[in-house]
Amino acid sequence: MWTLIKHRIFQLILVVWGVGTLTFVLMRNLPGDMAYRIAASRYGQDSVDSAAAEIVRQELGLDASWWQSYAHWLTDLVQFNLGKSLVSGLPVIDTVQHQLGHSVLLAFTGVLFASLIAIAIGVLSAFRQGALDHGFLWLSTLLRSMPVFVIGLMLILIFAVAWPILPVAGFGTWQHLVLPTLALALSLAAVSNRVVRNNTLKVIRAPFYQFAAIKGLSPTQTFIQHGIRNISVPVIAFIGIQLVTVIEGIVMIESLFSWPGIGHGLAHAIFARDIPVIQGCALMMGILFVLLNTCVDLLCHWIDPRGAQS
Amino acid sequence: MTALIKVHDLTIHYQGKCLVNKVSFSVQQGRPLTILGQTGSGKTLVAKAIMGLLPSVLEASGTVEVFGKPVMAQSRSPLWGKSITMLPQEPWHSLDPLMVNYQQVSEVYESVKGEDGEAAFNHAIDDLTHLGLKGSALKRPTELSGGMAQRLAIASATAGGANLLIADEPTKGLDSSRRDDIIQLLQRSAQGGSLLTITHDIDVAQQLGGDILVIKDGEMIEAGSAESVLTNPQAEYTKALIYAAPQYWQIEKLRKTERKAILSVTDLTIGRGKDALASGLNLTCHTGEIIGVVGDSGCGKSTFGDTLLGLLPPLKGEIKPLLANTKSHQWLKLFQDPPSSLSAHVTLQTLLNDLVKLHKLDTQKIAPLMEKLNLPESILQRSAKDVSGGELQRFSILRALLLEPVFLFADEPTSRLDPFIAKEITELLIALAREQGCALLIVSHDPALIDKCCDTVIRLDQQKHKSVA
Repeated sequence: MWTLIKHRIFQLILVVWGVGTLTFVLMRNLPGDMAYRIAASRYGQDSVDSAAAEIVRQELGLDASWWQSYAHWLTDLVQFNLGKSLVSGLPVIDTVQHQLGHSVLLAFTGVLFASLIAIAIGVLSAFRQGALDHGFLWLSTLLRSMPVFVIGLMLILIFAVAWPILPVAGFGTWQHLVLPTLALALSLAAVSNRVVRNNTLKVIRAPFYQFAAIKGLSPTQTFIQHGIRNISVPVIAFIGIQLVTVIEGIVMIESLFSWPGIGHGLAHAIFARDIPVIQGCALMMGILFVLLNTCVDLLCHWIDPRGAQS
Repeated sequence: MTALIKVHDLTIHYQGKCLVNKVSFSVQQGRPLTILGQTGSGKTLVAKAIMGLLPSVLEASGTVEVFGKPVMAQSRSPLWGKSITMLPQEPWHSLDPLMVNYQQVSEVYESVKGEDGEAAFNHAIDDLTHLGLKGSALKRPTELSGGMAQRLAIASATAGGANLLIADEPTKGLDSSRRDDIIQLLQRSAQGGSLLTITHDIDVAQQLGGDILVIKDGEMIEAGSAESVLTNPQAEYTKALIYAAPQYWQIEKLRKTERKAILSVTDLTIGRGKDALASGLNLTCHTGEIIGVVGDSGCGKSTFGDTLLGLLPPLKGEIKPLLANTKSHQWLKLFQDPPSSLSAHVTLQTLLNDLVKLHKLDTQKIAPLMEKLNLPESILQRSAKDVSGGELQRFSILRALLLEPVFLFADEPTSRLDPFIAKEITELLIALAREQGCALLIVSHDPALIDKCCDTVIRLDQQKHKSVA
C-alpha cells in the first residue's frame, strides 16, 4: 500500500509538470496576437487599439523569449505561486479555489446520483432478466449515444421550459443544482448500470454464490454477505476510470448551465488567453484526477487485498 | 432404519434427450450410499435433483422424498444447510474469494443458527482448529491447498447443523492421504444422518462402505452393498470400472538395449526459493524411458520436474543434457488441468496453427498423430471450453508430441479424469513416448499408477525435509 502511495506522489509531480508545460506550449502557439486578445478582454472588444495592446505587452513582459517566461513560470510553480490573472489581476489561486469548490460539489453529487441510479438499475436488471433488462439496455444505449449537453438541453426543455419547476441555469439555491447534476448523472449511469448488471450476473451465477445458499443462508443474507463485496470491486474500479468522463462532462455542463465552476472558468480563460488561469485550472483538474484515482485504488485494495499479497 | 432420501423413477430430459432414466434408490440413516460412474454418466444431475438445483432448461420427472415427505424441487431450499447440504466438486470456486476463511464458517453460525458475533466466532475457530486450519483462519481461500479448501468447505457446509450430506466428487485431484482425510471427515460430519457420495474413484467407494449404485449413461446398472458390488460385480460395466484402476493395468516395460542416455542428474537439491525440498537426487534419463515420481503433496514432485526442465534453478548439484543439438522446445511439460492451461477464447485449430507457424512444423504429421490419439478432425473447430477434459488432455499431448520432444514432464496428467479416460490417456502417452524415443517423467500421487507404468521410480520423502511443510 505504501508503494502505491509513493508511486502516486511521484505521478502527481509528473502530472503537475506535464500539464503545466503542455498548456504553456499550446497557449503560446495559438494564432493571433496575445497582447491584443488580453487587452480586448480587459477593456472590451471595441476600445482596443495597438497602443492599448502595446501597454499590455510592456506590462506583462509578453515579448520576453519563451524560455525566459517558461523558467519564470517554473520557479513560481515550485513555490506554489500560480501567479495572477492577466485579465483581472487577481491571484489565480483564489479564482481557482473558488471555482473548484463549485465543480467538486457538482462532480460529487453527479457521481453520487449516477452510482445510485446505476446500482439500482443494474442489480434490478441482473435479477429480473428479460424485457426489463432489454428495456434498460436500449435506454442506456440511447443516452450514451447523446453528448452530455444534449441530455442537459433536453432536461432544460422538459423541466424548465415545458414544465417550469426548476431554473434554466445559474447558481445559488439547491434547485439550481438539480438539472446539471441530473444531466451528468444520467450520462455516467448510462454506462455504469451495464457494468453493475454484468458483474452482478457474474457473481450470482458463480459457484460460491450458490454454495452460500446451500450453507443455509437466505437469499438476502447471501446477497449482503457474498454479493455486494464481490460485485463492488470491478464496479468501483470502473467508476474510477469514468472520472475522466466526469471531468470532461463538467466542462460542458458548467458552460451549458452557467455553473461557476472550474470548467466554465477554463473555457472563459481560453477565450481571453489568460494563461495563468488556464494553467491553474488545468493543473487543479490534473491533481484532482490523480487524487481521486488514488482514493479509488486504495478503496479497491481495502475491499480486495489479494493482489498485494502475492 | 429410516430412509432419509427416497428417489423414485427419477428421469431427466434435455431437449428430448434422456440424461437420467428411471433412477430409484434410497439413502438410509447411518448407511452411506455411493453413486459410482464415469464422467458424463448423469450422477451430478441426480445430486442436483435431490437438492432442487436443476437448471430450469432440464425437465425432470419422478419423485424425491426428503425425510419421508415428498417435497417439490422449488421448496427444498429452506432445508439447505439446516438438514441437508451439498459439497461442491471444486472447493476453491465454492468459497467466497474475498471472504476471510473463518468468516465462511462463522457467518453460518450467525445467520443460520442465530448466534451472536462472539459465539459464532468462537464456534468457527473451534471448527478450524479441529480441522488443522487454525493457522489459515485469517487467510483467504486462494491461499489454501485443494485439501485444505475442501476441509473448509465441509466445515462451512455442515455448520448450519445439516447431517445429511451430498458430496459430489469430494476427492477430485487430491492425493491418497488427503483423500483419506476427507473421507473420514465426511463420515464424521454425517454422524446421525447419512452420506450420499458421487464419485468415479473405486477406493473412495470401498472406504465409505454402505451401499453402491452404479450408473452408466443415466441408467442404473447395478446396486447392492459395497462389499458385494466391489468383490463380486455382476455387470460388465462395473467390472470394467473396477479393472480400469491402475493396479490392473498391463504396460510393457522398456527393453534395456534400445536406449540412449539423454540427461544425467548428479547430487541434485531442489526447492523453490531458499527452502530445500529434496536433496541427493541422482538419475540418468534414457530415450523412451518412463520415469515415475511419487510422494505426498508438497514434497517437491512438480518442483523436481520443473528443475529438470530448467524452469527452476537447482539449489545444488548438476543437470547435464547428454544429447547434442536439442532445442529448448523439445523439453516440454504437460499440465495437470488442461482447461486452465489452454486458452478458451479461440478454437483448438487456432492453437494448433499458431504452433505450426511458430516452429515451421510439417502439417502432414498432424493427421496420423490425431488418429493415434483418437481425436476426430471436427474437434479442432471447437474451443477448449466445449471439449471434455479427456479430449483436451489428448489435444495437449498432440501439441507436445508434434514438437518431437526428447523429454516430456507430465505433471499429474490424469488426476482429474475418471478411471477409463485416465487409463486410455496414460497408455497412449506411454506408447507414443516409446515410439518417438522421448523420455517421459510422470508425476503422480497414485503409487499404483507409477508402479505399473514406469521403468524407473523416484520416491521423494517428505519426512526428511519437514521444514518445508
